[in-house]
Amino acid sequence: MGISIRSIDKSFDDFKALKNVSLEIKQGELVALLGPSGSGKTTLLRIIAGVEKPDQGSVLFFNEEIKDLSLSERKVGFVFQHYALFKHMTVFENVAFGLSVRPRKMRPSKEEIKKKVHELLALVQLERFLNRYPSELSGGQRQRVALARALAIEPKVLLLDEPFGALDAKVRKELRAWLRRLHDELHITSVFVTHDVEEALELADRVVVINEGKIEQVGKPEEVYHDPSNPFVYHFLGNVNLFHCRVEDGKAFIGNMPLALPSHVSPDAKSARIYIRPHLFEVEKTASGNQSFKGTIKYLNPAGPIVKIEMISEWGDLINVEIPIGQYYELEIKKGDVVYVRPKEMKFFSDDYAI
Amino acid sequence: MGGTIGLRTQSKDVVANISITEPPFVRWILIGVALIFLTIFLLFPILIVVVSALSKGIGFYAQALTDPVAMSAVRLTLFVVAIAVPMNLIFGLAAAWSISKFNFWGKKFLLTLIDLPFTVSPVISGLIYVLLFGAQGVLGPLLQAHNIKIIFAVPGIVLATIFVTFPFVARELIPVMESQGNEEEISALTLGASGWQTFWKVTLPNIKWGLLYGVILSSARAMGEFGAVSVVSGHIRGLTNTIPLHVEILYNEYNFTAAFAVASLLMLLALVTVVLKSWLESGETQPK
Repeated sequence: MGISIRSIDKSFDDFKALKNVSLEIKQGELVALLGPSGSGKTTLLRIIAGVEKPDQGSVLFFNEEIKDLSLSERKVGFVFQHYALFKHMTVFENVAFGLSVRPRKMRPSKEEIKKKVHELLALVQLERFLNRYPSELSGGQRQRVALARALAIEPKVLLLDEPFGALDAKVRKELRAWLRRLHDELHITSVFVTHDVEEALELADRVVVINEGKIEQVGKPEEVYHDPSNPFVYHFLGNVNLFHCRVEDGKAFIGNMPLALPSHVSPDAKSARIYIRPHLFEVEKTASGNQSFKGTIKYLNPAGPIVKIEMISEWGDLINVEIPIGQYYELEIKKGDVVYVRPKEMKFFSDDYAI
Repeated sequence: MGGTIGLRTQSKDVVANISITEPPFVRWILIGVALIFLTIFLLFPILIVVVSALSKGIGFYAQALTDPVAMSAVRLTLFVVAIAVPMNLIFGLAAAWSISKFNFWGKKFLLTLIDLPFTVSPVISGLIYVLLFGAQGVLGPLLQAHNIKIIFAVPGIVLATIFVTFPFVARELIPVMESQGNEEEISALTLGASGWQTFWKVTLPNIKWGLLYGVILSSARAMGEFGAVSVVSGHIRGLTNTIPLHVEILYNEYNFTAAFAVASLLMLLALVTVVLKSWLESGETQPK
């Protein structure tokens, strides 16, 4: 196992940042800690790094307890959102830092350091910027220098705190793809923190969804997206339509439309919630079957590959629907039209789950 | 301000530009007031000092400065600065470091305490040492028993000077260190640097301008301090007189020319400080 996190508790004054968190990260894995701000994801990362000490619990690297190792003994590569490059040093000096501060006996020769720094800068595609100062680089370049600097000490694990958070959307996407390729090349056990769902789903081997100091779900990106274990994960990972339904005679009702009740919802429950993603609707001009919502289109935005539709159902619910632009042209719908939308997939949750 | 109303019809940019610029007469009045004020209260006195100092010729000026008593005052002042400033440098660094990088109980209290020398009158600052170390003071008998002399001696002057220059370095460094946070230090530590290496290679280069600035300010204050030093010094000529005290003595003896000559020395030191300070500031803003 790469990193084992066992029953970690952490409080700041009265605020419980982490509540009994356990997590196993395999060697060579790229894991995303995903959650809203204040969820405790950064605290967890800082505890793994050794920047914060947990109140309870332990962290193991490759089955070795590291609780008593100092920050400089842990051999972690830590990359900050705002890069934390040494401002008064050139790119070369920044990347060489980890090697040049080693005790004389363990320090590589000047030539070796030079060679290593050149290799690393080639890896992050910044060889030409050797003698620049951080202030002379763009955000994306700075983050790559920070990464090269962290990799110079050949860390056992790489930890990234919102690594792309300070970059603009386009650079973020490029750097994301680049980091994925880099990880596939180096296979270094890596954990990154993000609040960006798309980033987590696109980049990570596994996603850890965290909320209010607890892990809500751990799984492959497609698992957490398509099979969320609770309403929070469902809400957090994408747009949703929420319907409150009443349960009668072992069936769920939205308005007066009956729906089969899945086995995990008790038939004795009085009510339940149904979640449907906007893109999981079939839009029709005439109803096929009796499982459709009838509604009037209130708003429609066809700019882009996906058309966003807002409609009000006959029971007064606001429904968000997304369809591909091609389908929109075929249907020839416009604002004010009455349409039928049939859910292709729904997710039931008992009503007792509080978000 | 008044000019904007009639200009609304013009393009937005022009209006925006003009609306933040005062009409010419307001500008001239403001500049004029500042200039007149500076001339009367700063430039004029400086000129008076220089003119008075040289009123009996260069020979007398040189004599006033090379007088053994004056020389000893200069030596004592430099000696006090050489002790007080490094002490404050170390204390200021420690205080700024602990306040900006750690959270601890009593942090607010420490911050208030640092400012105390700014708010307390220098005379009181001197007096507290007399009350503490003087013959009738709390520690007086103890010191006398061991034949240690602090009040009316050099140690008292050093202590009083340290007290009044206490806040300068810390006050300069706290905002600098707080704005920088500790991410660079954490990075250095994770890269394997020791605490000492982190301090010399990462922290110090980041705060060097603030540190130098604080050192210059506290040096200037240490050289010029009168009130606190006057209380504890005892005014023993050639022994416990610093430059400002020597100036006062000469003045009280109606030896105005000599007083101004020695005063011009202090003024020169002040000017050097100001020049150094502005040189530092220009260095700080230069792109690296």
